[in-house]
Amino acid sequence: MLWYKAWLETRSRFLTSLATLTMFSSIFVHHALYIACMNTLPCSEEIKSSEWRSEFHRLLFINQQYVVIMWILAVVLLAMGGLVREKALGTSSLTLTLPVSRARLMRVRVAMGVFQAIALGVVPWVSVFVISSRARMPISITQVGSYVLLLIGGGLVYFAMAILISSLITGEYTAPALTFGVVLLAAMLFDNWLRRFNVWRLVTGDFSIDRNTFLLSKHLPWPGILASLSAAALMLLASVMAVQRREF
Amino acid sequence: MTNELAILTHGLTKSYGHDEVVRGLDLSIGRNRITAFLGRNGAGKSTTIKMLLGLIRPTAGSGTVLGKQISDAKQNREMRKRVAYVAEDKPLYSYMTVEQTINFARSFYSDWRIDVEKRLLLDSELPANRKVKSLSKGMRTKLALLLAFARRPDLFILDEPSEGLDPVGIEYLLRTLVSSSADGVSIFFSSHQIAEVERVADHICILEKGCLLMDASVDQVRHSYRRIDMVFPTPPSERDFRIPGVESVKTAGHQMSVFASRNAEEVVERAHSLSAVSVEVAPVGLRDVFLETVREN
Amino acid sequence: MLFKLNTTTGQPLYLQLMQQIRHATETGALQDGDQLPGIRTLAEKLVVSPNTIAKAYSELEHEGLLELRQGSGAFVCVKRRIRSLTDSVHVARRRIRDLIDRLRDDGLVDEEIRRAFEAELFFTGEIARKR
Repeated sequence: MLWYKAWLETRSRFLTSLATLTMFSSIFVHHALYIACMNTLPCSEEIKSSEWRSEFHRLLFINQQYVVIMWILAVVLLAMGGLVREKALGTSSLTLTLPVSRARLMRVRVAMGVFQAIALGVVPWVSVFVISSRARMPISITQVGSYVLLLIGGGLVYFAMAILISSLITGEYTAPALTFGVVLLAAMLFDNWLRRFNVWRLVTGDFSIDRNTFLLSKHLPWPGILASLSAAALMLLASVMAVQRREF
Repeated sequence: MTNELAILTHGLTKSYGHDEVVRGLDLSIGRNRITAFLGRNGAGKSTTIKMLLGLIRPTAGSGTVLGKQISDAKQNREMRKRVAYVAEDKPLYSYMTVEQTINFARSFYSDWRIDVEKRLLLDSELPANRKVKSLSKGMRTKLALLLAFARRPDLFILDEPSEGLDPVGIEYLLRTLVSSSADGVSIFFSSHQIAEVERVADHICILEKGCLLMDASVDQVRHSYRRIDMVFPTPPSERDFRIPGVESVKTAGHQMSVFASRNAEEVVERAHSLSAVSVEVAPVGLRDVFLETVREN
Repeated sequence: MLFKLNTTTGQPLYLQLMQQIRHATETGALQDGDQLPGIRTLAEKLVVSPNTIAKAYSELEHEGLLELRQGSGAFVCVKRRIRSLTDSVHVARRRIRDLIDRLRDDGLVDEEIRRAFEAELFFTGEIARKR
């Protein structure tokens, strides 16, 4: 019942984030539709000209910028907790004396987090898709899929970073604060010297967006996504090793 | 399979920097008996137990529990399927309810006994739907102990199990321990409550400053330890009572009190040979045995 | 059966139990063929280790006082010595009564008499046992 425990531990963080992200995207898109469709919904055929379409897509791109911020916030908070935090709370001698390996304990926690991160990326964009379709301003499923893929494929590295930090630091507030600090610092440093490798820009679609149509290109930055996922995998491996070595 | 010892350690050591919390511990705890682990606070009892269960790594030395190496992660995990452990602080997940906690624990162990679980739950009067964080200390203790006692493992390792229980709860705990022992479960528990140790323990180990000072059967201790109070016509000399078995000698004027771990008869004979006016031999309770043993060290 | 084990007397609990069982058979509280409680039951009742009960039963079986039947429990098998022992106890009680009266006449208070009895009994009993 490790999954159940992981769920109980993250349930309120997850549901709150899911509600926030979904509500935000829904309201934002609804507003965007009003702007694009000249305050009449559903959209009339004349409005759906290329000019208004690209305006609408630009607003979707802006939606992604906000979603990225909230999503990273959410997954970092979801990654908090774990065995190291349990030590501070006093329950590690219960969890660690269960007849399961530390690696398994980590795997379940990480997997739960990954599933939640995926849901947090998919659900808001699905609601965007549904709302705009019903307003007769359809957006292609490929666009939605691309935003989701960039977010999760590129962004899981932030989750992994948070897991690693929470496997090293016991403080309830220190761990997330440090993670946010690292995320911001990384974004700034990369932007200054290694812009091409800045994950943040990858995740927000900055590298893939056509500035005229505001559509994401069909050719997603797969090398970038793979590199990001690899970095995530390495960090998760390091986290497992850190927990295996640690004394409780 | 019941030939192996419940716990066996060789030179088990744990140091934090220069601080040696456990030194060269050679434990040898037998199966099918109740062994009490006594020691002052900070003597190294909890550290030893944590090493046995794989929570911390020994600095030196080795050990086996139920025949499995404690330093091998896989073996240790195998062993934990057959060991029920309750840590000193009775850890529980504050966000789970009583029922969720029990369901959670049950899912990991094949030696769980539902009938015993139901009976213990009924006897403890724990409210099934209340969250652990809303439970009183006594109820938390009962729940933490229930998670162990609803199982039939080969070994119980309990760190201060009676802490947090009222006298009725303690009596219930002891009865449960004894009942489990009759089922063939080996029991290893640490305690500060000497009175309860005296009643149920077959064997005691005394740990002080990381070293094992005593490893003896309670029957043997009861049988051999004596306090001999004597009065002499002239103030006696302590040197006359340097007999093997004498642990400490106290003199006050004409009176002398000898604390002996064995050979009380020789002390009495020596007293008579020195014309003692009065010689009284009295048994020594476990509490005094503990205090003297620790003090002498 | 009412047994009471005392952890403060310096006597191993199993020996105390053995004595109390023997005493019960001598006074007739336990008759030939009576069944003693099972090890687990008695251990739970007295709240002592089952090993204590097991050892006591085992030693008494050695002495021939108990018969341990596989699966059924411990049964008393007592010979016809009872009556003469109860007589001895009566005689002993009378003697002790006389002695106590005399000690009181000598000026000793009951508490002193009790302590003297305990010290003598305990100590001489030990010497005898260890020999």
